[in-house]
Parts: sequence; structure tokens; C-alpha cells
Amino acid sequence: MKKSLLPRSARRQINGWTMASVIGAAVVLLPILYVLTGLFRPANENWDKVKQFLLTDYILGSAKLVIFTGFFATFIGVVLAWLVVGYSFPLRRFYKWALVLPLAMPPYIAAYTYSSMTGYTGVIQATLRNRFDLVLPPGTIDVMSDRGAIFVLTLCLFPYIFMLTRVFLERQSASFIENARLLGHKPLSVFFRVVLPLARPAIMAGVMLVLFEVLSDFGVANYFGVQTVSTAIFQTWFGMYDVQSAMKLAAWLMVAVLGLFMLERLLRRSRRYASPTSRSNPLKPQPLKGIAAWGATLFCTLVFLLAFFFPIAQLVVWAIETGGTVWRSDFLDLTVNTLKGAGLGTAIVLLIAILSSRAARMFDSPFMQALTRLLSAGYAVPGAIVAIGVLAVFIALDEWLAPFYGMLGKEEGALVLSLSLAMLITGYVIRFMATGYGALEAGYEKMPKAYSEASRTLGRSSLATFFRVELPLLRGSLLSGFVLTFVEVVKELPLTMLLRPFNYDTLSTRAYQYATDERVFDAALPSLFLVLIGLISVLFILKAERS
Amino acid sequence: MSFVAVDGVTFRFAAGQSAVIEDLSFAMSRGETVGVLGASGSGKSTLLRLIAGLEMPERGSISINGRVIVDERVFVEPEKRGVGMVFQDYALFPNMTVADNIVFGLHKLKREERRLRLEEMLELVQLSGYVRRYPHELSGGQQQRVALARALAPQPSVLLMDEPFSNLDAHLKAAIRSELRQILRQAGTTCLLVSHDEADVDAICDRSLHVRAVEASDFGSAEFAR
Amino acid sequence: MFTKRSPLTLVVSLMTAATLLAGCGAGNAGQNNTGAATPAPSTAPSTAPSTSPEPAKSGGEVNIYTARHYDVDKELHAAFTEQTGIKVNVVEGKAPELIERMKREGASTPADLFITVDGGILNSAKTEQLLQPIASEVIDKQVPADLRDKDNNWIGLSSRARVIIYAKDRVKPEQLSTYEDLATDKWKGKIAVRSSENLYNQSMLASFIDVMGEKEAEAWAKGFAANLARKPEGGDRDQAKAVVAGVADVAIMNTYYVGQLAASEDAEEKKVAEQIGVFFPNQQTTGTHLNLSGAGLLKTSKNKENAIKLLEFLTAAEAQTKISAANFEFPVNSEAKLPELLTSWGTFKHQNIDFAKYGELNPKAVEIANKVGWE
Repeated sequence: MKKSLLPRSARRQINGWTMASVIGAAVVLLPILYVLTGLFRPANENWDKVKQFLLTDYILGSAKLVIFTGFFATFIGVVLAWLVVGYSFPLRRFYKWALVLPLAMPPYIAAYTYSSMTGYTGVIQATLRNRFDLVLPPGTIDVMSDRGAIFVLTLCLFPYIFMLTRVFLERQSASFIENARLLGHKPLSVFFRVVLPLARPAIMAGVMLVLFEVLSDFGVANYFGVQTVSTAIFQTWFGMYDVQSAMKLAAWLMVAVLGLFMLERLLRRSRRYASPTSRSNPLKPQPLKGIAAWGATLFCTLVFLLAFFFPIAQLVVWAIETGGTVWRSDFLDLTVNTLKGAGLGTAIVLLIAILSSRAARMFDSPFMQALTRLLSAGYAVPGAIVAIGVLAVFIALDEWLAPFYGMLGKEEGALVLSLSLAMLITGYVIRFMATGYGALEAGYEKMPKAYSEASRTLGRSSLATFFRVELPLLRGSLLSGFVLTFVEVVKELPLTMLLRPFNYDTLSTRAYQYATDERVFDAALPSLFLVLIGLISVLFILKAERS
Repeated sequence: MSFVAVDGVTFRFAAGQSAVIEDLSFAMSRGETVGVLGASGSGKSTLLRLIAGLEMPERGSISINGRVIVDERVFVEPEKRGVGMVFQDYALFPNMTVADNIVFGLHKLKREERRLRLEEMLELVQLSGYVRRYPHELSGGQQQRVALARALAPQPSVLLMDEPFSNLDAHLKAAIRSELRQILRQAGTTCLLVSHDEADVDAICDRSLHVRAVEASDFGSAEFAR
Repeated sequence: MFTKRSPLTLVVSLMTAATLLAGCGAGNAGQNNTGAATPAPSTAPSTAPSTSPEPAKSGGEVNIYTARHYDVDKELHAAFTEQTGIKVNVVEGKAPELIERMKREGASTPADLFITVDGGILNSAKTEQLLQPIASEVIDKQVPADLRDKDNNWIGLSSRARVIIYAKDRVKPEQLSTYEDLATDKWKGKIAVRSSENLYNQSMLASFIDVMGEKEAEAWAKGFAANLARKPEGGDRDQAKAVVAGVADVAIMNTYYVGQLAASEDAEEKKVAEQIGVFFPNQQTTGTHLNLSGAGLLKTSKNKENAIKLLEFLTAAEAQTKISAANFEFPVNSEAKLPELLTSWGTFKHQNIDFAKYGELNPKAVEIANKVGWE
């Protein structure tokens, strides 16, 4: 009788959704798997050198960066989220959305902006010197260090945690928190005993994004001379001309990240958090008075100034100084290219994210879990490494399709796909699957399954249920997924550099062009454009969120 | 002939775990209201979900009105079973009004028929003034009645109710219980109702079914009382 | 059945659509960024997207993978297109990444020219067997033989000298002599330089290995690293700032950054340029370290003639003058005019070395830097 188990469950598992998810997953997975094959390639002498001399330092460097950035970003993000949700104080409504804005700032741009601002010729030291005749001893402000990297990365990345936690607290927590308050818990105790554990899934989702960003960061670490696994990958590649060993290193990084993923999942699973209920009322903030109110405002203001206002103001000043020489007529093209790439990439990310998160929800098996984690793995690996995987797969695809191209009248050995924008878009999709998937997974997690089940028992098919019930309820998650991913793609650099078709410049490649040549001031204008696009999309989500 | 027939059904959540329901068989006649009693964790809800098609049994078969909806070879998708279900916390779609919730399952009807059916249902559950409200603007008792109306609207052959009173205040409960009994009689629906409270079942159901949790030494069985 | 299949169909059709869209994008991407030269009608191609963008004029096209990313290059490309009708298609990237891309594309690579900023990298493109000889009498005349590959697989386009700069108020040029001198105790705690992870430093060290021999070069690196005033940080410009700020007395940096500081829109950076002096070391001995920016011709080039035409154009006196004026690089064509700042430094003697050595000896240089603790 036991035999019947297989065909029955198999019948239920194989349907359009799974098939579509598998296809979507394959597109994303092939290049990732290609990188992972690095694990099994034979090691050469460089690899031994890397392992012997560099690895420990670089792993320690990465660990330090990850731990400190993770800690500070979580602290700032969660405290701010709780402040703007749980309390009312002057400027609260402004900071509720304004503190998301630093997301629009690419960390590498923040890095060079800060280092120039604080450097010898920067506005701070120059003003002290010229106005007050005050010469700071060298090294007083040293951004070009581990601490500087942690500072910049924290300020650029905390909004992930802030945003996800804030939305969660606003929507899900009212009854628990109000209960706790009624039960006479002091504010701190409410925070530690209710808010923190309650919001843990949202916080963790944010922390994961931050950790991935830090691990895959090359721009900031390289600029500040911090040694991380990411910079080691490039040193192996660019310094030793050894792509194989670089890939091997990247593969190990990927394995480590997947392990982290699994661990987090395991930890989360062992405890059940705020089970989603159909009824939830928004939390009413408690008014703060006197010093507490001003303290809250001051803290928000400080973070806002450091993470957003100062660097932006500096960029504006530089852009005005250099605008005349840097501005050229192709800025419109750059903007269009940026928008086009980001729009297409984001749309496909969300499509695959919907399919796979729904599949994962319907068939919650360890295999599915592993698969969806692997889908997100591209986020944690430096873009250039993802790019090699994509390049390899696309060129193979072109070779494979060569007879077909021949029928279309192409010359022999023509590269079609790998010279098209499709390659770059695929790269974006792989690299940033995590932001889209994370948002949708969270969306599904807070949607009770009973909604979908009720729809089914009311005679609606699985597909109709998706469109009529799930999609409207996922709207918020889709939007935040869209913006998070969109902003990421807009900021993206290394993939664009390696996978772009001819004559395809984006705002970020233009900014890089100047920054890499140490022409920080000239990079301000394209950077500002870049930030502006990010800003508009962030504001867009905030507006949509309110309606 | 029995209207609903559950025959030798066994279910477990995952291979290797102990069965939640083991070799369960029972039958219901048309128009009958049957209560399922048992401690929490005894698989009452699972039984409903198996009939609704939200879970798949490992063994056994279920048929409704002579049509096999699940056995070794057949698995009819939930939307094709003609089964209505009231969920424990109602699962009213939060983004839809009362009216939209109720007509949700009436997509196959013409517009006019849909309107008539909506009015009929609203009258049945006495919520005519609430069509434009959203679920979160309703009291628990009202929500429960909307959920009931929504489940009954497509005229299911069997209505499944999962702890329909668990979210209600005690004083509401008595009123709603008698109301529900009346509505069910009026609609002539075959109904399987799960509760952990014997009083619920006594008040509404024609007879009851006791489910005991399956333990290693204690093979599950269902026995009829009354 | 329909409902069951449709999500799949949905995905497949959307992906196809996206790919097609992307393909179209690639098809006319070539028309995006070029200057005013092409009045190309950008109507969407009704046929399948084409790999090689249709030439606007009869002049054809030339495809470049370049690690040079200067506005002046773009202007010169546009001027070239205007003059010849040959369209210039560009992918910009980092040199090792571009090499990797060309390697993977193999014989199918669309690239005709590979342009980069380091002799060592040009050589590694050569040793990867990506290049072929450039046969042009015009170029042979415009580019001196010591700034070309010995097999003419690549040619120099411009050069930069890696010099010593010093704080005018604290150091007299008479105190300076050679790179070797910087490794002596005299300069303990007085030197600023960027990280050895930087290619400019690696190539410099590689050249020393060739010129001095491995042992001496290692000894030099050891002494030099021990004299550093601070842990290496920032770029070349930052070293100049460190000197002016008093962190160090002397620094090693490329000449063209000095020029850029002087031409900066930022008043403070201008001041920095005014307070430093430029010293060309080793004039009596082995010569100042020179690095080369250059171009290689791909073995698989499909537009070889156009590619050579472009190189002839770029090495002609007119283009060379422009490059030098905009970037403060030294021209390779001796007929080009130098900007005032460069003339003010006078002529200098550079290392007499095969640039291929930069590539060959790079791993050794990296190893030495790691060994002596030059971060």
C-alpha cells in the first residue's frame, strides 16, 4: 500500500508552477553552478600560495567587516525603526521615510565622497586651515581604514534593516506591543522582550541583505585598502593573472554564504514567531516628551545628516564646480540605459521570485529550500565573479545555438546572445535575485495560507487564486522588492563593466570612469544622477506604501 | 446510501512521522450535520482539510455524492470538489469588502444571479447593512457570519467548519450557535463541524464523531456517539 | 489543463520577449553614444537583431575593448568617425576582465583592438596569443621602436613617468637622486606611496627586477617599505596630498596625476600641486620608470584595416597633442606638442627596458612586495 505514496504526491507536485520555477531557476542557477564547479577544479600553485599567505588575513578582514558593519547597521536600523513606529516626536513623519533614502547612495560613491571630504584638501580640513589657521595633525580623521569602511558601509546599508523592520512593526505588531505596554512593561523591556523577538524575521532578512552586501563589496574595501575575501579574489585575478584560483576562492565564499543561509533558516525554524493572523491594526505611537523627544529627533537627524545629507551636499557642490566640463549630450543616453537595464532586470527578478517563492510555499521540502537559497546566492559574490559565470554560460549557449544562427543567415561563429543586452540583464537577475526573492518570501510569510486555501475551496483554481487573492495582498512586498532590486541594479557596477554590449554606458560606469582615475570631483555629476534615480524610486515606494 | 464516505484514510505530515489519522472510516447522509470532537492535535482539522483537498491522504479514499474525490488514482483539486469551508480564523480576504468576499466563489454565475445570491446570503446571515465594510471593521461574530455566507454562497454539497466558535466571546457564542443551526437547516446543507467543545456540537449537530489522538500504542479510531 | 500550464507559458513567453527586446537593444546599441557624426536613422530593425550594427556610412566599423576611460578618447573616436565614416564601437572595462572576456569569446570575439594602460598587460594579451602584428609604415614612423612591442603585436599610445615628488618647503631637489636612494635610512619615515596591490607599483618593481636583478630589487623593496611614513592608502593623488599635509616629505606618483591636480577645479587641489616639486630620478643612471598605455591588434580581428586606420589616427601628431593636453600623458609621437606643464619639466631619460618584462616579472614583483611587507 505504501507504493501509492509516490505517484500521489508526485502528481501533486508536478504542475505548471513547479515547471515554471524550475525553468526560471535554471537560468539563474547555471552560472552560479558554473562558479561552484571551481571547488572541484584541481588546485594550482597559486592556490596554495593564496591559501598559505593570504587567506587567514583576508578571512579575518572580511569577518571583522561583516561583524562590525552587521552589528552597527542592525543597531541603527532596528532602533530607528522602533523609534519611528513606536513613538511620536518632532520630525518623526519626515524621518519615517527620509531614513530610507541612503539606499540610493552606492557605497563606493559614499566612500570616495567621504574620503575626499575628510582628506587634506577636503572641505573640513581646508576650512579649518584657511579660516581658522588650524592644521589637524595628520591621521586625525582617517577614513581610509577598516573603521572608515565599517562607517561607510554601515551608513549605506542600515536602511535595509530599518525599512524591513519598520514595515513589519507597523503592520504586524500592534496587538503584541500594546499588550506588553498594558501589562506594564517599561519601554526598554518592551523593546527587548517584545519588539526584538517579534521582528526577528524582518530584522534577519535585513541583516542578511547587509551581510551579503558587505561580503560582495569590492569598491569600498578596495578604495580604503581593507583586505577582505572579495579583494583577495581580485588580487588573485588581477595580480596573479589567475582566474581559476579566483573562481575557486569565490566558490568557497559562496559555500560559506549558503551555509550562513541555512543556519539562519534553521534557527528561525526552530521557533515560531508571530503567526500571521488575518486581523491586524496599525500600532499607535506613544508621544515622547521633553529630552526624550529631542533625543530621538537628534539621533535621527545625526544619522540622516551623516548617511545622506552631507555626502549629497558635497556631491552637489562638486557637480556645480565641474558640471561644465563633465556634462555631455550623452547623459540622456546614460540615464536611459541605466533605467532600461534596471527596469528589465528587476521585472525578471520579480517574475522568477514570484514563481519560486510560491513554489517554495506550496511544496515546503528541504529540496525546495535548498533550491531557493541557491537562487539567492549570487548576491553574496562579487559581481565580476558572477559575470564570469554568465559569460561562460552565454558563450556556450551561443556555440550551442550556432546552427540555428546559421539558418538565420548569420556568419559562422557569430556571437549573438553574448553580445546582446540579454547577457547583462541575466547577470543582474542572478546577482540581485536575493532582494526580490527576499521581499516576496517575506510577503508570503506574513500572508496566512488560509487565504489561498479559502479561495481554492471557493472554486478558484491555483492560478486564479494567485491573481485574485495573493497578488493583491503581495502588492506591498512586490513594490518593496521592486524598489530594492531596482536601486541595486541602478547602482551596480562590476557586472555592467564586464557584460555590457558595445557602446553601452550607464551612469555608474560613467561615475566609475572618473572615480577610478582619481577624478572624484568629475564623478560627482554622474553620481548625483545615479542617486537621483535611486531617490525617485525610493520615494515612489514610500508614496505607494502610504496609499 | 451515504452522501459523504471516508474509507480507510491514513495521513501523516511527513514520511517517517507517526500518522495523524490512521485508517479512519465514517459516512454521512445528505443534509446531516455531524460534529467532530477531540482534543487539539487529534487530527480533527486535518480531517476537514483532507475532505477539502488541501491535504492528500497517504491511503484510503473519500467520495462525495457517489463521486470519488480521492483514492489511489484520483485526486480532485480543491476547486473542483464543490466543498465549502469556514476556516478557524475565517480567512476573510482583508482587501475585499464583505460583498466581494461573499461573491468571490460565484465567478461562474451571471452578474444578475450573483447579485441575487449575494442578497440572499446577506439576508441569511443578517448582515445586509454591511456590504461595503471591510473585514477588519467587523466584530468577531460578524466576521464569522461573513465567512459562513461566503462558504455557503456557491451552494457547496458539503460545508466544513473548523472551530467556528473559537474566536468568539462566550455571550456571543450561544446566540450564534442557535443562529448557525437555523441557517444550516434553512440551507439544507450537509455539514461537518469540528470543535473541541462538546456543548457546541450538542447544540448544533445531529450526531457526533470522536477522534482520539493517535499514539504509539493507541491506534486511532473514530467512534460514533449518541 | 489551461490553468495548469499557463504559468509556464507565461514565463516562457515573457522571457522570450525579454530576450528579443534585449536583442533589439543590442542591435541598435551602436547608435546610442556616438557623436554627431552619424545621422543614422534609428528606426527599430524589423529583421532579427544583427550582431554587427549596420554601418551608417560605407566606412564600416571598428570594435574596441578598452581599459582607458578618458573623455578625450571618446572625443578622438568621434573625430575619427567624422573623418573616415568608420564607426567606433566601444566596450570599456578593467584590463584583466577584458582579457578574460576575449579569451572566453575565443575566435568569435568581436573585438578588433584591445587598449589598456600598462605594458605588462599588453604583454599578457600577447602571451595569451590574442594579438597579431600591426603592419603599418605610418605607425612605424609615428611611434618609436622602443615604445612598441618587438613583434609589433602592440604599440604605445601614450606614456606616464613614475617620478618622485617632494614638498618644496622641506626638501631640496639636490637631496634627491635615484629610486635606490629612497631605500636608504636617510628617508626613514618620510616616504608616501600607494599600495603594492596597485599595478603601477607592481610594474615599477618588475622593472627594477629587470634593471637591478632580483636580489637587489628585493633589498630595495625591503628598504623602501621600511621607510614608509604610513601604511599605504589611497591613490596617487592622495600621496601628493600626504606630502603637502606633512605626513611625508616625498612620494612616488605618476606624472599625469600631478598634471590633473594642477588642472583641478578644486582650489585646494591646485594649492597642493603648487606646493610639490617633480623630480625625475635616475637621470645619471638607469632612467626614470615609464609606463605605457597602448593598443594591441586582435588576431581574430574582422575589421583589421579599420583598426589600423584608427591606430594611425590616434598616433598622429594631432591626436597625440590632444591626448597630452587633456590627460597630461607624454605623447609617443615626437612631433606632438606638449602642454606647458610638461614642457616645464624638461626632457628626461627613461628606463631602457622591454615593456614585456612588466608582465613577465609581475608575479615575482607581487611575491617580493608580499615578502617585504609592502602592503
